[in-house]
Amino acid sequence: MNVISRGVKNSMRSPLRSGAIVLMLAISIGLILSMLVARSSVNAKIADVKSSAGTLVTINPAGINGFAGGGTPFTSDQLATIKATPHISSTTATLSDQLGSTDTNLTSSLELGSFGERQQRFDSPAASSSTSPTADSTSAATRPAFTPRTAVTGTTNPDSVATNGGSLTISSGSTINGSGSDLVALVGTTLATKNSLTPGSTFTAYGKTITVSGIFTTGNTFQDSGIIMPLATLQTLTSQPGDVTHVIAKVDSSDNVNAVVSALKTSFGDKADITSEAEQAATSVASLSNIANLALAGVIGATIAGAVIVLLAMVMIVRERRREIGVIKAIGGTSQKVVAQFVAEALTLTIIGAIVGLGLGVLVSGPMTSSLVTSSQSSTTATTGTNRGPGRAFERGLGQIGTNLTQVTSSITPQVFASAIGITLLIAIIGSAVPAWFISRIRPAEVLRSE
Amino acid sequence: MLSVKNLTKSFNSPSGTVKALEDVSLDVDTGQFVSIIGKSGSGKSTLLSMLGALDTPTSGNIHVDDVDIAKLSSAKQTAYRARKIGFVFQQYNLIPNLTALENVMLALEFGGVKSRERKARAEKLLSDVGIKADQQLRKPSRLSGGQQQRVSIARALANRPAIILADEPTGNLDSETGQKIFELLHNLSRSENTTIIAVTHDLDIAGKTDRTFSLKDGKLTKLSKS
Repeated sequence: MNVISRGVKNSMRSPLRSGAIVLMLAISIGLILSMLVARSSVNAKIADVKSSAGTLVTINPAGINGFAGGGTPFTSDQLATIKATPHISSTTATLSDQLGSTDTNLTSSLELGSFGERQQRFDSPAASSSTSPTADSTSAATRPAFTPRTAVTGTTNPDSVATNGGSLTISSGSTINGSGSDLVALVGTTLATKNSLTPGSTFTAYGKTITVSGIFTTGNTFQDSGIIMPLATLQTLTSQPGDVTHVIAKVDSSDNVNAVVSALKTSFGDKADITSEAEQAATSVASLSNIANLALAGVIGATIAGAVIVLLAMVMIVRERRREIGVIKAIGGTSQKVVAQFVAEALTLTIIGAIVGLGLGVLVSGPMTSSLVTSSQSSTTATTGTNRGPGRAFERGLGQIGTNLTQVTSSITPQVFASAIGITLLIAIIGSAVPAWFISRIRPAEVLRSE
Repeated sequence: MLSVKNLTKSFNSPSGTVKALEDVSLDVDTGQFVSIIGKSGSGKSTLLSMLGALDTPTSGNIHVDDVDIAKLSSAKQTAYRARKIGFVFQQYNLIPNLTALENVMLALEFGGVKSRERKARAEKLLSDVGIKADQQLRKPSRLSGGQQQRVSIARALANRPAIILADEPTGNLDSETGQKIFELLHNLSRSENTTIIAVTHDLDIAGKTDRTFSLKDGKLTKLSKS
């Protein structure tokens, strides 16, 4: 029998007391695991949100707003500057243009309406001083008829035209390669219907024959009346090599959005209008951060509670065995050996508490994490409504344990597990340190004085 | 050979400095059985503490085989206690959750005996002091006072010590059992040539030892020599 086995044996000297200590420790360690799992899950969610929400930065040449305004498109060098800015993970560049009746054989599917007419009033030299094309019917009669134009978007990513923030819906045919330079196009569904276009059809634009690759639909009348081409194709067709009128940059994390905006403003000065969704991102992360902080406070609180439990238990045990420690020292036991024996005893209690506590944690951390992070977990309980009786209840209980195990297993990363083990050891060490100090101060002579 | 010269031990108390031992000197030859008698508070236990390196004197020397144990470091004093000293206490002081056999093996472990040799040696020691095989596997609470004291003596003998220090070894036993324990110690001092210093208030037992000293108010007086 050595120091370790004596410590292990001593831990079971008073089964009732040891059981109570183990139970208290188990609750504390179970809580620690639950909180660690919850924190890990919340942090994963935060990372997910940070990498997806509010990470877009819009960069427009100063003055340009869609087809309105004025200014100079970005050059390829300026686009390269944007791409080279730290933390920008990807960019979507767009060049916008409009096809008039002389540019294409397509008939626009847009109804011009009073709004469209007002926007085109400046196109007539005779109407340059007019403020309302409909107010002066005499002069209107002298102008050529207004014709709606067809919007053309050249983009590196056709999905960026989608109005739902996701992928562009291709109702027939196939999408185009935005990075290519082929004479192909996606045609909006309204425009395609108006001009009887189907995938494989051709039309002319800028004096070239363009093949329809697919028909897209967005649910937006303006978009569905337009054409999408690869960026390089439109740049070539419009003799604007390298030019872009709109850039959307995706930042790797919402944490870095402000830094990216700041860097871009430094690079472009007043030559670009830069907008971001940083505040929206911060708001969406704030509530999750509060939960993560709460979980961390729970970990710290449960750790302190666990350490105090071991500490008080070991102090009580050491005080109780003061004479025994004196005897061991008197017959030649070193302080280190006695301390090692008591640390082994504390470790044994802590390890048993940890095993029970980790099991407890596995059972409770799944639902706890779910309630903190996700809104529902209905899919696993839908089939149990008609099952009654204790047998069924037992099966449902086992099923729930299985569900919890699956949920937690997916959340217990090696880091979480290592943290739980580390904290458990920390509890044992803190819980043993003060008793060890007491032990080292017990003098063997006291065993004779108390006779 | 044990030689104590001008040993003094003082304690600080709220009422001032108290001298528990004052200028104590004695020489004990190897293999002698010596008893020390005295009233409660006379300094008997303090003297045993000094001799057993459980405490350090305020002044004076304690030479055991030409080594001044009062000057040893704490680690060396621990080693000295493990290999050179055996303690027998009035209340036996066996470790309650270890069996009789494990109690003796514990002392052997501290004495540096190899683990594979401990069990056989502990069994023989216990057998020599009259503890039967089935009793060796019992915990102290399931042994009588006399049996516990025999186990305590076996533990004290474990590392073949030069000196056995016994603090009231028969104090908790009835007279018949006390007599048997005394005889056991007496025989050991003869057969093992072990020096035994026993503190006792039993004048009958003290009278049967080789030499008897009396302690009064920390001062030692030699009473007899056989």
